[in-house]
Amino acid sequence: MYTMEQAIIMKSKCLKVLFALSCLLLVSCGNNDDYQAVAESNNRLAFNVPSNFPPLAQDIEYNYPTEKGFELGRKLFYDGRLSADGTISCSFCHEQGYAFTHHGHDFSHGINDQVGTRNAPAVQNMAFQAEYFYDGASNSLEMLSIVPIHNPVEMAETLETIAVKLQVDKEYVRLFSLAFDGSGVTSGNILKALGQFMTMMVSSNSRYDRYVRNEPGGSLTAQELQGLGLFQAKCATCHKTDLFTDSAFRNNGLPPNPNLNDLGREVVTGFTTDRYKFKVPSLRNVEVTAPYMHDGRFGSLQSVLNFYAGGVLYSSTLDPVLNQNGTLGIPLSQEEKDAISAFLKTLTDTDYINNPLFYYQT
Amino acid sequence: MKFKLQHIVAAMAVATTLVSCNNDDDTTAVSGTGDAEIFFDNSVNGDDLLLNTSAYTNSNGESLKINRLNYIVSNFVLIAEDGTEVVYPKENSYFIINEGANSTTVHLEGMPAGNYTKVRFGLGVDQQRYLQGETAQQSFWDLAAASELTWTWSTGYKFINFEGTFTSPQTDGEKTFQVHQGSNTATDNYREITLTLPNTARVRTDETPSIHLIADANVILDGATKIRLFDALNTANTGAAIMGGQGLIDIANNTLSMFKVDHVHNGAGDHHEE
Ligand code: HEC
Ligand code: HEC
Repeated sequence: MYTMEQAIIMKSKCLKVLFALSCLLLVSCGNNDDYQAVAESNNRLAFNVPSNFPPLAQDIEYNYPTEKGFELGRKLFYDGRLSADGTISCSFCHEQGYAFTHHGHDFSHGINDQVGTRNAPAVQNMAFQAEYFYDGASNSLEMLSIVPIHNPVEMAETLETIAVKLQVDKEYVRLFSLAFDGSGVTSGNILKALGQFMTMMVSSNSRYDRYVRNEPGGSLTAQELQGLGLFQAKCATCHKTDLFTDSAFRNNGLPPNPNLNDLGREVVTGFTTDRYKFKVPSLRNVEVTAPYMHDGRFGSLQSVLNFYAGGVLYSSTLDPVLNQNGTLGIPLSQEEKDAISAFLKTLTDTDYINNPLFYYQT
Repeated sequence: MKFKLQHIVAAMAVATTLVSCNNDDDTTAVSGTGDAEIFFDNSVNGDDLLLNTSAYTNSNGESLKINRLNYIVSNFVLIAEDGTEVVYPKENSYFIINEGANSTTVHLEGMPAGNYTKVRFGLGVDQQRYLQGETAQQSFWDLAAASELTWTWSTGYKFINFEGTFTSPQTDGEKTFQVHQGSNTATDNYREITLTLPNTARVRTDETPSIHLIADANVILDGATKIRLFDALNTANTGAAIMGGQGLIDIANNTLSMFKVDHVHNGAGDHHEE
């Protein structure tokens, strides 16, 4: 239904709407003509909520994506200068071909080949989520980039230093000025540009999406349909809606990794009742985002399903959904596992992972 | 922003009318705008706060030598006698008090002339502002970073950065302490504080009142709730850190009584040396 190509086509339409809107603003406030100037030089991009999605969880009006802001955010996302030694860009750990995950790494490695303690999740549909990172270290799409930038084992930089580094680059100075109405290379604008880029990163064109929206190319096999039914019955309480997450923190019974003892949500809240709770991840594009779980312990969907069927460990914070009538986990036959696995693969969105708009060519 | 401006203009109009029917020592109506300043005089339980100097002993029997006291104050509102509130424009209403850098005064500019009897402000950054993200006008992140008031492992601001060393009757030797107060995605620890002024603060085009507040750093740990640093010691027994959980909620509650108004100076010019 909605693609970035369409976004571009829609821009002229959007411009008209925007113009009407800005006239309205002009009338109501009477004294401002820079709205017009912005509309002429830097268009707002069209952002449509896919019809099968829940509403936005972030108020994107605060930092609404514009053409120039988006392009600048994309350039920053692919620029190693955002790290202390100039080698690690966001895209280093978030590769488009794998739905913006770090392919083949259980723990993402960053600067000086240091290894982190968590697996890089997919970056997609961020504006529809209320919490970010496995422990909810951030709840703002605009502010979240602070975490990887300052993390000593990821990029080990500071926003202030990045701003200083980019201020000497004439091209960046020009691009910031275009994107932010004459304003300069600042910490705030770096965050805003990255936020605009990530706002536009919507994945909503998998075969499953076409199926639910009754669009051409949206047929599912009998096995996939069986998997969909099982998924709705057994998994969708947590992997909710067509985002496949409820943005909540839950303990799904993974035995804690003894090498890390990652406390999950407790790290942020300080409450022991949050121990071993992690953000429910979206399962979109899950076929290409292996390895799985916060520590990347499982290499295949089959292993994930084996875990849900027989490996769930009891602890005081285990989610009650996975501890019903004395049964731990979700009993599944091999046939059912195969069906769920087949269904999960219908969530792969090749439009998204091949979309040239999310790829920055130098 | 435009909306806010209209607010201010409206408030100005109200304040102006108010003042005209007010029978303070002024007989003539006041108009125009002026400035107000609020001086945060950092202290510890009645003593002056001296960084890196002597230790202060609290009611838990712990002695704290303080190396750092920085905090964010925000969302200033001056309240006139009849309750009319003049809200300082939100996008300019975040300030850093940094004892070490001797930055302890908040200047509010362009306030409507009038007689004010109360001041309200926030300690920290409210959720609304936080979720609006950075504005291009005010690079607050950089300012906060310069005073060690940003949190980078999560994406927020430290509302208070209170650090130093301490000794405790429960353990031997000097340990470090770090109290980092702030909100996280689970608890909103921003609090607003309203203080009544002992005498009216007169804002005039040519008069800048100075509201002299005493900020008592002792109350952070030794307030309504007694928080022992000993209980926050790390497993290596080298230092105590309070940066999350119930501790922050208790501190937020304690800080509700951290500020008192000592006096208000009226007249022209600056009243406090910085
Ligand atoms: C060294 C590897 C690495 C780099 C570089 C990196 N990330 Fe990440 N990213 C991760 C890991 C690991 C996580 C999960 C961390 C966690 O949950 O604590 C993550 C999580 C995220 C998330 C949260 C997704 C979700 O569903 O909650 C977003 C968004 C994100 N990164 C964006 C970025 C941006 C933007 C940059 C560049 C400024 C960046 N990352 C740089 C490894 C990296
Ligand atoms: C009680 C809530 C809950 C239920 C029910 C649940 N999950 Fe999960 N799921 C989670 C949480 C929480 C995580 C993240 C755990 C972690 O990383 O430590 C997760 C992770 C996953 C992952 C890894 C995704 C990735 O990118 O790393 C997959 C795949 C998955 N679940 C599939 C399923 C399937 C299939 C079912 C049904 C058979 C299911 N889940 C049922 C909560 C749940």
